Amino acid sequence: MSESSAVVQVRDLVKEHGHGESRVRAVDEVDLVVPEGQTLAVMGPSGCGKSTLLHLMGGLERPSRGEVWLAGQRIDGLSERALARMRRRSVGFVFQAFHLVEELSAVENVELPALLAGRSPRQARRRAGALLERVGLTARARHLPSQLSGGQRQRVAIARALANEPLVVLADEPTGNLDSAATLDVLRIFEELRSAGQTLVIVTHDERVAATADRLVSMRDGMFVDDTRLAGFHPRGLGGLIGLEG
Amino acid sequence: MGSIVLVVRLVLADVRRHPSQVAMLLFAVTVATATLALGLSLGGTSRTLYEQTRAATAGPDVVALSGDTGPAVTSALAELAADPDVVAHHGPYRIVYADLTTRGSVTSPVVVHGFAEKPGALNRPLVTSGQWVRSGGAVVERGFATALGVGVGDRVTIAGRPYPVVGIAVTAATSIYPWAAQIGPGGGPSDYTGLAWMTRSDARELASSEDLPVTTAVDVKLRDPAATEAFREAHRGSDVTVDFHSWQRKAEQDAVILRGTQPILVLGSWLLSFLVVAGVAALAAGRAVQQTRRAGLLKAVGATPGLIAAVLLTEYLAVALLADVLGLVIARLTVPVIASPTASRIGDIGGPTGPVIAAATVLAVAVAVLSALRPTLRALRTATVTALADTAHRPRHRPRLTALSARLPTPFLLGLRLTARRPGRVVLQACSTATTLIALTGLLSLSVQTSRGYGLNGSTALPNLRAENTGHLLIAVSALLIALAVVNIIAFTWTTAMEARPSLAVARALGATPGQVSAGLSIAQLLPCVPGALIGVPLGIGVFSVLSPGNAALAPVSSMLIAALATLLVTVALTALPAHLAARRPVVPVLSADTP
Repeated sequence: MSESSAVVQVRDLVKEHGHGESRVRAVDEVDLVVPEGQTLAVMGPSGCGKSTLLHLMGGLERPSRGEVWLAGQRIDGLSERALARMRRRSVGFVFQAFHLVEELSAVENVELPALLAGRSPRQARRRAGALLERVGLTARARHLPSQLSGGQRQRVAIARALANEPLVVLADEPTGNLDSAATLDVLRIFEELRSAGQTLVIVTHDERVAATADRLVSMRDGMFVDDTRLAGFHPRGLGGLIGLEG
Repeated sequence: MGSIVLVVRLVLADVRRHPSQVAMLLFAVTVATATLALGLSLGGTSRTLYEQTRAATAGPDVVALSGDTGPAVTSALAELAADPDVVAHHGPYRIVYADLTTRGSVTSPVVVHGFAEKPGALNRPLVTSGQWVRSGGAVVERGFATALGVGVGDRVTIAGRPYPVVGIAVTAATSIYPWAAQIGPGGGPSDYTGLAWMTRSDARELASSEDLPVTTAVDVKLRDPAATEAFREAHRGSDVTVDFHSWQRKAEQDAVILRGTQPILVLGSWLLSFLVVAGVAALAAGRAVQQTRRAGLLKAVGATPGLIAAVLLTEYLAVALLADVLGLVIARLTVPVIASPTASRIGDIGGPTGPVIAAATVLAVAVAVLSALRPTLRALRTATVTALADTAHRPRHRPRLTALSARLPTPFLLGLRLTARRPGRVVLQACSTATTLIALTGLLSLSVQTSRGYGLNGSTALPNLRAENTGHLLIAVSALLIALAVVNIIAFTWTTAMEARPSLAVARALGATPGQVSAGLSIAQLLPCVPGALIGVPLGIGVFSVLSPGNAALAPVSSMLIAALATLLVTVALTALPAHLAARRPVVPVLSADTP
């Protein structure tokens, strides 16, 4: 795999939590290259370090050792300010708990990253409207998160992650709080993103979600124990794959 | 019994988890209750001290003085002493008007009373150090001596003649220093004057050799000490002009020195209480989600609403009551210093009275209840499942404000949205700033006052004790107000940061820099302070005008506006550290929460 085309690359990555005898190594000497356009699923049991790996790749946490590269730029030594700018420009996050701002409507949540990036309110609103249309929530644009279902909230969160056209979308258990029908909606959106060439890293412990990726990395105790190239996404068979008719 | 043990355990556990908040509540309520108790205790202290001094010095019921001279005066005063309602008298005796100089330069008007070397039954000044008058030596009244800084063994110069100070004494026959003269030379108005005693012969010699003005006085004790007004009325219309000074009039005059003190303390205590409620309510609101969740947990395991309310309120009430006790003790220890600034009186003021204790306790309980009631009621009313889900209280959606903030730079966008989350707190913050400006306006206006000193011709070599006492208290109360406002600003900032932690973590994840988040938090505190500062200046002018004499000068408006601007700048500076710390907290723990 060509490292020059890598969107995300980590080398000898280590992340330790705690001190002394209570020290735990959450990520243990991991090497990974995610090429542009790839959908990578990271699987493993709870506490294996997959979410920590995602946070390290997105610059939300700093590694104890090793290197993190994003679009050819090493980011593990950047200042907090530079990391924030990098996230604003290059990374979109999707969280298991959605993390929408409760007092903002769906469209206001989606436009927030664009406003933080300095776009004009008009541009930000236009982009947010287009993204909500893409995830099928135009009719819900003015609704508050509390007025949306779990699946709808996650679709808003995905739209928000795409607001600044990021190089990579990092999704942490994106279907962890969703029922099967909502999971199906989210996976359909991910498939559309994959088709459009969006690089995706999805952390999940759900085999059905992992099965939809191009590549599956399995983690245990902070280390990669398997790296499998999959056949890819099957949109027509998606419903069957996750136990529902599409 | 089991419930009580449970409540105590839960309260103690909570106190251990939030020691700084408990310390703040304790400090703030102590300050408020001490100030209130002090203010209320001052009412009547002058009278109490006067009466104790009067009892200890056989103080006369009436002092009759005449600025005229000659045999007719002596005769008129002797006639007063012979009144059937008079059961004892002292005098007539000579009062000489002179100047007293000490330490070479400090000069003050003084009245010298010529007394017998052996005190009689009425008007027997109490010697507090040294001895009573003897030939060639002077006794100086204690309040006057304290102001002059002289003691037994020092020398003073009276009308150019040197005298050793042989004793220090107090009396109830005159008002406290500097109102010892009662009437001026020839019966005219008197200036700020101290009191000294000499032997009759020394006083006579002093007056005659230096040709000094003299007044003649007689002290009388009435059959009915309360009938002083009737006695005065009975002797009106004499050919000789006689001034009657009753003991009631002296007690009233004593209280003049505290006239500016009590309003400052009582009003100050209310302002302090407001700031305490604002600050503690902010802290309580910051813990509201946690408390609601705690209430949900207790409900889930079968706790009754009464038990839950007891758990949530007991901590605040217990700390407030402890602070109440501390405040009352502080007031008890401080009252003597404030109530008797001249040292002209002796006696014990005693502890806070029942009504004072009750008022301070009501204040402490009110602060605790007002601070904690809303979060407690919310916790009780929230459904158990909702409470456990931490979603009990969502800020309101404000589309216009959100649209407006979208046009602003990122720190202002964040700041305005953070401000809009808690409108109630905006009001509290504005009022907190207004309170600070009220204090600052008072201090600034105080700084431009010119008070006539107690020295000769208004010299400030002897400071104006009344103005000094009032000024010191105003400074102390203002300092407490400003200190509490500072604590409040920090509490407001930290509470805002903690409440908005999820939103701020999301903003950080979406690319807001720590600097932008930090600036946003500071701006969120600054925005409500602007109207507070603008309202505070005119309010401060109003309060100062109400509390001050009619001729009091106000500080220039320009200096007040500078103070308002400085307050806003200080607010930004004070918010910087908590905002900086909050903006740099790791976001991963918040974002890793799996609760939608």
